[in-house]
Amino acid sequence: MMRALAVIALLSCVMVAQAQKKSSFPRMPDGKPNLTGVWQGGSTARGTWEEANKGTGLGGTGLDPSAPGVLSASDRPANREPAPYQPWAAAKVMESYKVRGIDDPTARCLPPGIPRTSLLGLFPTQIVETPEQIVILYEYMNVSRVIRMNAKHPDDLVPTYMGDSVGRWDGDTLVVDITGFNDKTWLIGTGTFHTEMLHVTERYKRVDKDRIDYDVTMEDPGVLTKPWVIHSNLMLREGTRLQEYVCAENNLDPGHYEDLVKDGVKFTRP
Amino acid sequence: MLFAAIPLLAHHSFGAEYDASKPITITGVVTKVEWTNPHSYFYLDVKDDQGNVASWKFEGYPPGVLYRTGWKRQVTIKPGDTVKVFGWQARDGTHWGHSREVTFADGKKLYFGPPAGTGDGGATPAVEIQ
Repeated sequence: MMRALAVIALLSCVMVAQAQKKSSFPRMPDGKPNLTGVWQGGSTARGTWEEANKGTGLGGTGLDPSAPGVLSASDRPANREPAPYQPWAAAKVMESYKVRGIDDPTARCLPPGIPRTSLLGLFPTQIVETPEQIVILYEYMNVSRVIRMNAKHPDDLVPTYMGDSVGRWDGDTLVVDITGFNDKTWLIGTGTFHTEMLHVTERYKRVDKDRIDYDVTMEDPGVLTKPWVIHSNLMLREGTRLQEYVCAENNLDPGHYEDLVKDGVKFTRP
Repeated sequence: MLFAAIPLLAHHSFGAEYDASKPITITGVVTKVEWTNPHSYFYLDVKDDQGNVASWKFEGYPPGVLYRTGWKRQVTIKPGDTVKVFGWQARDGTHWGHSREVTFADGKKLYFGPPAGTGDGGATPAVEIQ
């Protein structure tokens, strides 16, 4: 009996030790990955915000010109396949590109939607995890999401900018299903419109202390020919606090645009 | 024809408002700073060769981004400071510019705004050009 207990105790110690060794990042009491923290999208650089943003690109300080830049909310993700739009819809995307995105909904301070908010790197993102719900706060446009765990989408969803998020754990990967979008946001890149049929699936896999692999699949039979998949990352930025972003405070450029168009100033692409 | 479909509201597109092929470098005295979203601004009094003074307005990052890139509100740039600005002028030719790099009297340089081309779709559209 004593010997059996000793073996069980030893096995328990070994299992706990293995679990701790296996996990290079914090976990919740129930063993699920803990994603709580402040993160930067669209980056693979480790370190604090200051250390990881020294390039000459968007949001960089230029202290290290060789350092990589991050994605703007209006850029096409680098090294990715073109967005699989149906021909008529691709033509509409090109119309926005040709007018240099002045029809961008965020230019009127409207919420950017998903995945546009989660892929950009200029602003930090804060994740707060509990077993029942995971809250994501975005500095950009001061928008937020509550991901209800192991829940179903309501039957009476009214279309919204940020959609309705429900989540579940697939092993160590957080899988988030989002529906209930309106058709007033862009997916990622200038002109990437969609319909209310949009269905987004996100997969957050924390691979180590510093990094979450973020894969997002967009399905919209209204405009796309097949699911559009983008692989990106979120990098931990310890010490970073989200700032306030109240877009309506001083949005002067709409008036500037009206003047440009009224005066016939040429700004379109050929 | 294309214009008919364009809502005349935007602020994020660099390329619509500014001409990347027309960089400018201007030195002047700061008269006002607006630490506001979605863009911050500062105003410069710029003297020409004849001694005439023009007021220029320069656009840049929102306060949160400036904070993270080393700017301190009411410390780094203040009315009365003489600064040199590298940027791009508005397409309409007015005294409105996109400020990229600001050089201070002590020689220190900081980025007040992003590189040219930000927010207007970049070099490659999201879809293949037919």
